[in-house]
Amino acid sequence: MSTRTQAAWSGALAQRAKSLEFQEYALAIVVVLLFIAGAILKPDTFPTWDNIRNMLTQSSVVGVLAIGMTFVIATAGIDLSVGSIVAAAGVFGGILLGDSGTSSLVFIVGAILFATFLGTANATAVAYGRVVPFIATLAMFSIARGLALLLNDKLPVSLLDLNGGSFGDPRPFSLLWFGVGRIFGIPVSVFVFLAIAILGWIALNRTRYGRYVIAVGGNREAARIAGVPVRRIIFSVYVLSGFLAGISTVLLCARLGSASPVSGNLYELDAIGAVVIGGTSLAGGRATIVGTFLGVLTFALIFSLMTQLNLSTEIQQVTKGLIVLGAVLLQRPEARY
Amino acid sequence: MSRMRLFVTVAACLALGLGAAACMGDDNKTATTTVTVGETTSAGGGSASGKKVNIIASVPPTDHGWLGAISKDAKAAAEKHPDVNFELVQAADADSQAQQIEQAISKKPDVLVVLPQDGAALTPVAQKAEKAGIPVVNIDRLFTAPDAATATILGDNYQIGVLAADYISDQLKCKGNVVEIQGLAGISVTQDRTKGFTDTLKQKCPAGGIKIVASQPGDFNPDKGLTVMENILQAQSKIDAVYTHDDDMAQGVVQAIRNAGREDEMFLTGVGGSQDAMKQIEEGGLYRATFLYNPNMAASAVNMARLIGLGEGFSDLVPPEVPRQVVVPAAVVTKDNVSEYEQYAFN
Amino acid sequence: MTKVLEVRNLVKEFPGVKALDGVDLDVLEAEVHCLLGPNGAGKSTLIKCVSGAVEPTSGEILFRGEPLPQGDPAGSLKRGVATIYQELDLVPDLSVAESIFLAHEPRRGPLLDLDRMYRESKALLTRLGHESIPVRAKVGRLRPAAQQIVSIARALSGEMRLLIMDEPSAILDEAEIETLFEVVRRLTAEGVGVVYISHRLDEIRRIGNRVTVLADGRTAATGIPATTPTDQLVELMVGRKVEQLYPDRPVGGERLLLEVRDAKRLPAVRGVSLEVRAGEVVGLGGLVGSGRTELLRLIYGLDQLEEGEILFEGKRLRAGHPRAAIRRGLGLAPEDRKSQALVLDWSQTKNVTIADLGRFSRLLLDIRRERDAARKQLRALNTVPDDPDRQVRLLSGGNQQKVVLARWLLHECRVLLLDEPTRGVDIATKAEIYRIISALAASGLGVLVVSSELEELAHICTRVLVMREGEIVAEVEGKDATEKTLLRHAVAPTDAPDLVEEVV
Repeated sequence: MSTRTQAAWSGALAQRAKSLEFQEYALAIVVVLLFIAGAILKPDTFPTWDNIRNMLTQSSVVGVLAIGMTFVIATAGIDLSVGSIVAAAGVFGGILLGDSGTSSLVFIVGAILFATFLGTANATAVAYGRVVPFIATLAMFSIARGLALLLNDKLPVSLLDLNGGSFGDPRPFSLLWFGVGRIFGIPVSVFVFLAIAILGWIALNRTRYGRYVIAVGGNREAARIAGVPVRRIIFSVYVLSGFLAGISTVLLCARLGSASPVSGNLYELDAIGAVVIGGTSLAGGRATIVGTFLGVLTFALIFSLMTQLNLSTEIQQVTKGLIVLGAVLLQRPEARY
Repeated sequence: MSRMRLFVTVAACLALGLGAAACMGDDNKTATTTVTVGETTSAGGGSASGKKVNIIASVPPTDHGWLGAISKDAKAAAEKHPDVNFELVQAADADSQAQQIEQAISKKPDVLVVLPQDGAALTPVAQKAEKAGIPVVNIDRLFTAPDAATATILGDNYQIGVLAADYISDQLKCKGNVVEIQGLAGISVTQDRTKGFTDTLKQKCPAGGIKIVASQPGDFNPDKGLTVMENILQAQSKIDAVYTHDDDMAQGVVQAIRNAGREDEMFLTGVGGSQDAMKQIEEGGLYRATFLYNPNMAASAVNMARLIGLGEGFSDLVPPEVPRQVVVPAAVVTKDNVSEYEQYAFN
Repeated sequence: MTKVLEVRNLVKEFPGVKALDGVDLDVLEAEVHCLLGPNGAGKSTLIKCVSGAVEPTSGEILFRGEPLPQGDPAGSLKRGVATIYQELDLVPDLSVAESIFLAHEPRRGPLLDLDRMYRESKALLTRLGHESIPVRAKVGRLRPAAQQIVSIARALSGEMRLLIMDEPSAILDEAEIETLFEVVRRLTAEGVGVVYISHRLDEIRRIGNRVTVLADGRTAATGIPATTPTDQLVELMVGRKVEQLYPDRPVGGERLLLEVRDAKRLPAVRGVSLEVRAGEVVGLGGLVGSGRTELLRLIYGLDQLEEGEILFEGKRLRAGHPRAAIRRGLGLAPEDRKSQALVLDWSQTKNVTIADLGRFSRLLLDIRRERDAARKQLRALNTVPDDPDRQVRLLSGGNQQKVVLARWLLHECRVLLLDEPTRGVDIATKAEIYRIISALAASGLGVLVVSSELEELAHICTRVLVMREGEIVAEVEGKDATEKTLLRHAVAPTDAPDLVEEVV
């Protein structure tokens, strides 16, 4: 009896290992190499707990977007609007507060609802208006950025009144708490990111919903014939992407202490980049949350390392491009299967 | 331009009748003569001719405080003149701005006023306008060819760097670690603000007591400023001053410093003169100074355009003409004089 | 007769698999040499070695007495080896003439010599007996048979000595197959040697001279006459005796499961009524384009009905809503497994359970239970390999079809719609699929089968309905059905094959 359970366990374990694709291993190697490079080049300031915490915190904003983007890309879609939605949702939450408002809750709920609303507009255009995702979300990219500027007459909204306590010890669930608060020494925003990544992993790999998402991206016609509610699934991923953009807004504005109409610039490209170097196929039907997570970390490591080395912009851009290319080339053996 | 007297520098090469190319050189700072133009400037030129002047102004989208003020001031200036028909167009990027200017040319206005997204990229279309007989007044960001504009009015970004270096080196007594958070890489504004800063630091502190420990672009964007500063704070255990290229972007930098709890360790300066920045300067603390040239240079540009359109000149110049290049000098705003400047603040 | 092609002791190893293990084959001038074998026997690898797409590990290939350069497609083509693959590699948006001269367009200076291109295309098509194909029409607007002729014309535009055809008839109906055979006969009359791959033994008798049978990468027999009896050929392929290709005909029950009343969706379906009862297999025969597939799509709710209604167990099915149909107990195994039925990157398990994930899902999926349930169904159908985690992309056509069937078995559906269930399936697996269909009917399901192989309909169905131009024109009791009678109903008396189709 016990040998049988043991066998079952090792079988399940082997399966787990198999499901961790080569691609994810390859990117994990890149992450480790970058960290080692940082530790060698900046031994005093790079491999410190403080800096790791800093990199994870920075990852969280684009990371949350990238989790949503993974679902969108898994259906063979794309969402170019998330960066603009971050800006629009922040400003919307800010003006919702009014002149003397101090309720973090109003801001947080307002921003998330507004981002979800914009995501729903994307979803409607793509799923029911049959607009190509690239075009529908490109339009939203422009609309949301315009709204961000329009809503408060091009001005940033200061959120510093929402501190909910002193800087050192923010009140739990206040906006600032999401920005600089810590639980057991780990920043709250990192907890939020990890929680969303884990929920995303479970949803994608262990629920009917996730299975449907991949089916739609893998073979839309076959999915329809097998009874997958294709349109509803497509609709849902854009709503999800908008909702997560709202969470991302909260994490960003909390740290920034203001909601700026020009924030979130090109975040969509960072998110898409992280998803794709993570191994999710732009053609749909293949998605990995672990890969996305590592992709986000890769970008954060590159950014942190290059800023610490004080490289000039042009060198930074070339280096970043080369590292991304290298990371993708490392994964090439996978492409054959 | 009533209380603060505008110092307008007129390119010496123009007065000497030399080719305009020399004006574009880096050494134009030394080759300019300062001429004081009085109140008559805005009133200058008679509207007796009864002719209407059609002016089209093309500017980047006003998502940035300083640019917002530019648009507002240009409109306000145009409204003061009953003989001006004024149209303002905005373009999101250099390509669409070029298209807009093409369209504007086809409308045959008397004068074009252009604040280019990217001076180099828009030079050809400006040259085209000039060739078509439409004079171009260039604001702030320079075209790269001398025949692209009839007149140029620009803020002295190099001088902003100079003033910042003066201020920071005085405060630090030529000793300390300085971080520079630049604007958008690859445009002349950023380059000038950096060059003025580094050149002057070398002059003022020849012993090299001030070290620029990090110099990174923040893209004039608060969230980029935030993340870049977060990383720099990780790398640098001791920072005495931060020179940022823009007040809005500086808000992100301020926040990074506060989040790290290091606001007592250093001070910070901005550029532009936003209300937020002035408020913080007044309150004292981290934000010590900002450097600005007044966005109402756009009003001057519209006035210049009108004079060009009417075929007249500044009456105080001999002979009265519109100068080829007007450089608006920069000023320092600190806690001591912030009350004087608050009226120029924009948001 | 001289030999065009001689293959001696050819071996090809892929990592972990020996696809060819010492294969011999010779093809004479002016003969049609058929290549038979179950899926995975190495037929495709063999022809790819000859066409140069794959480099063999060892062995030799002689072309007209001289060694053929290995792994060099351009070299093979230049010497006169033309290959027409199963999936036609034509660009739908190019014209017929452009397709024929793709990559070796006649030029006048830097410009295309369009006149010459059209003229020579016309000449080539005439040589094949199909001057009626318009050289300026877009290839995408042609019927599959005409597309195939364009492919052959393209091969002819070089100097062709050997033509290899990989299952050319799979996408053709009876009349079109006859057209194709006419072209093949013309070519052999000119001295061209032809290698012809097909799963359909009847074709081999009609067109073939000699047969080579491959099994497990070896030549089970080579150069035997095409008149070799079926039993013997099947035995050579399978390596054992196949007792009976066709199982007993299901008799059918009384209970009415599916009723189609006056279904209409122009232009393909023009008012069709039919019934499917528990325990019977109803065949739906006819030529390609007669509206059979479109009818199945209407029943299943993939397309909207314009008129009429569909009743399932007496209650109306919501039109245009496949999910409702599935919930009520309908299942569809569509025509094109790869593009319509399967997520090729997925494991067998995931493909089996996709239509019925609800039963493994509370909040989370119970993936172990899911896998066990899928394995049970896959095993019941004897799916090879017995590995529920295997990607379906790597499965043979027959086993892919079994995965689709397993999906509907798991769902316990009560009426199964099968569209060309044995297309591209080797003969041994065909026999298995026939038995599965028969067993399903015996267990009380109603089955509606569309097939272009009228012979199989004649053998496995309780009754056969024949469609022509969107209507049912005949109903034949299974025991009275023969390929001939069905074909007579399917082809209208005046039906001359029109090869250009307006695609809507």
